[in-house]
Amino acid sequence: MFRKTMAMLVIISVIALTCACGKSETTAYKGETDTNPDKGLPVMGENVTYDPNHLINDGKTVELEWWLWDAPDLFGSIAEEFEKIHPNVTIHVVNNPWDGFWTKLPLALQKGTDGPTLFNVHNSYQHLLLTYMAPYDIDVKDLETDFFTAKSHEIDGKNYYVDFGIMTGAMYYNKEMWKAAGLTEEDIPATWEEFREVAKKLTVEEDGKLVQAGFNYNGDFENLMQGVPYQYGNTIFDESGKVPSLTQEGQLKAAQMFLDMYEKDHVGDKDFGTDAAQSFGQGQSAMVYKWGHFYGYMNTNYPQIEYGTFEVPAATKDPFAYDRYNGEATPGINKNAAPEQIEAAQDFIRFYLANTEKQKELCMNYSLFPANNTLREDTELQDNPAIQAVSAHIDNYIWPGPMPATLADNLKIACQDMMYNDTPIEKALKTAEDIVKVDLSNQEFVSSENLYHRYSEHK
Amino acid sequence: MKKQTLRAALYIVLAVVGIITVLPFVWMILSSFKTNEEISALHQTLLPQNFTLENYTSLQSNFNFLQYFGNSVMIAVIVTVLVVYISCLCGFVLSKYEFKGKNLIFGFVMMTMMIPWSVTIISRYTMFMKSGLLDSYLSLVLPVMVSGFGIFMMKQDISSMPDELLEAARIDGANEFRIFHQIVLPMSKNSISAIAIFQFLWVWEDYLWPYLMIDSDKKQLLAVGLTMFNGRYSTDYGGLFAATVISIVPVIIVYTIFQKRFVAGVAAGSVKG
Repeated sequence: MFRKTMAMLVIISVIALTCACGKSETTAYKGETDTNPDKGLPVMGENVTYDPNHLINDGKTVELEWWLWDAPDLFGSIAEEFEKIHPNVTIHVVNNPWDGFWTKLPLALQKGTDGPTLFNVHNSYQHLLLTYMAPYDIDVKDLETDFFTAKSHEIDGKNYYVDFGIMTGAMYYNKEMWKAAGLTEEDIPATWEEFREVAKKLTVEEDGKLVQAGFNYNGDFENLMQGVPYQYGNTIFDESGKVPSLTQEGQLKAAQMFLDMYEKDHVGDKDFGTDAAQSFGQGQSAMVYKWGHFYGYMNTNYPQIEYGTFEVPAATKDPFAYDRYNGEATPGINKNAAPEQIEAAQDFIRFYLANTEKQKELCMNYSLFPANNTLREDTELQDNPAIQAVSAHIDNYIWPGPMPATLADNLKIACQDMMYNDTPIEKALKTAEDIVKVDLSNQEFVSSENLYHRYSEHK
Repeated sequence: MKKQTLRAALYIVLAVVGIITVLPFVWMILSSFKTNEEISALHQTLLPQNFTLENYTSLQSNFNFLQYFGNSVMIAVIVTVLVVYISCLCGFVLSKYEFKGKNLIFGFVMMTMMIPWSVTIISRYTMFMKSGLLDSYLSLVLPVMVSGFGIFMMKQDISSMPDELLEAARIDGANEFRIFHQIVLPMSKNSISAIAIFQFLWVWEDYLWPYLMIDSDKKQLLAVGLTMFNGRYSTDYGGLFAATVISIVPVIIVYTIFQKRFVAGVAAGSVKG
């Protein structure tokens, strides 16, 4: 029996090895020669424009790979639209898992013409990718005019990517609980004082035990602490953009306020689960602070929960900034690709940036506020609760730059120390500040806070 | 009486430990028939309340599941067979032949087991890139077809075979090739089974190397495909559980084939007779 099994396995493996090893000859579609420069199509875009009526690579076939980590169908549809206009260009969309993407991509970019020509970028990995990236062949002024966050991604007068949309935090509330507490749309809070009162009304205790949190920030304290202190006029980094300061008035006041919500107001509890998102989905928390991707999370996991959103409350009537935001970026171009591939990629990027319809689809998919000014008033986008909540004051949100991991990690430790170990606020934040200072002294990080239009007003 | 009580207590403890070990696995199988909403619900139940097959039927739409599954089976079988054969061959030579530098070679083989895989990954990537082997299955087979662990196991096992047996075969006119295939291999069934199970499992669950080597969607392996369920912001647990349940089937089959000899094989490899 054993001998037969082994013999069978050997035969199978020899056959499989013969079939499998070596590069197989694929019969993938490679496009067709294009001889017609006049496509009869209109010019797209406002300032960043795209005129489809031309040939790429003199009409000869050209293939490129576009690497991404999500939504291959959606991004692929942009490539397909482009291929229809330019049949000699073939864009192979390669989807990757997010977890390994940032390990594999920098290695693959070293392959030159065999590597990806286009690749999706996340600004927090800019430092890994910049050496492989070619700048966009588009006037930066045009980019700035069309995309309101483009200036923040300008490096030495060039853009290597821009945001197609931005994401930030908002308050999500359970409509059923809201109604049960006798609250109406009129009660949507604009200030933290109002918010605390609403949270108290939404809190339910039974026999002295919390059964419904009015506001649950478990797992989100550090996220709140990265944004809310801006409301007090403080920035995270000093004028040089390199030295962090986590013990200013804004940070201390914000931390005290959130701790008081649990300890004095009893609207939530540090031991009421570790994940506010799950608690909200399970109908145990009435309000949570979440970023735009929470919309997708709720659709996937808890489609039955009816919820609304409102802007993060403010500490003052006209805060310096409401919160921080982060952008979702357009693709980068591999500067080591073949000239004809780079030509096609540059042309594709221009098409992408001038194509507001596709940008709108992307923003809808990720619940992003559109970076393209043309889409600001789009009613369909405004219907998305995550976008709706931040629309009113979107210009008063600040981008501190790609947040260094050390800052987020140490702020998280500080928040946990404050919540669970009763460490005094100032001591916990000072410890975090000291560690982050040392870590950043070895990095080339410079904050982008000074690009904020109200930067001169900071304390 | 006291002995029976102790035995009963032991069985109870073993049964509890067994249940604790198996329960997450059973929970995963049952949860693969639940919706994501039910999986994340506050009140958990072991059995699905709203039974659904959607996690299974939608697998193919998430990624080319069957293709990835087939690729994984093929690579795992190829590597396992190669590792078993090469390990037996090297183990036979290192245990039954006397030649200069034998111990040095064995020491070198042992050294390869001491170097963490992750340390060499960049240099190995560069080697395969410069050899033009990226995106080919050879890049998955070549680095693992010679296993230090396998050679060590087989050397230990074959050492315990009596030299007289091999001498008798030689006197009867058997050449070395025949001795290896008709005497040594059949007598090493237990160790071969142990190596086969270990190797198959390692190849089956290996993620990073196949991910780095293979670019083409059609050539990708299942372990890489499973990570597609882990999105940046959320995880499709239903889909992940369904895919994992199916992906476990080949491992169970391999274990069922070799399990009788597995324990004896591990024991034989770990002591020198």
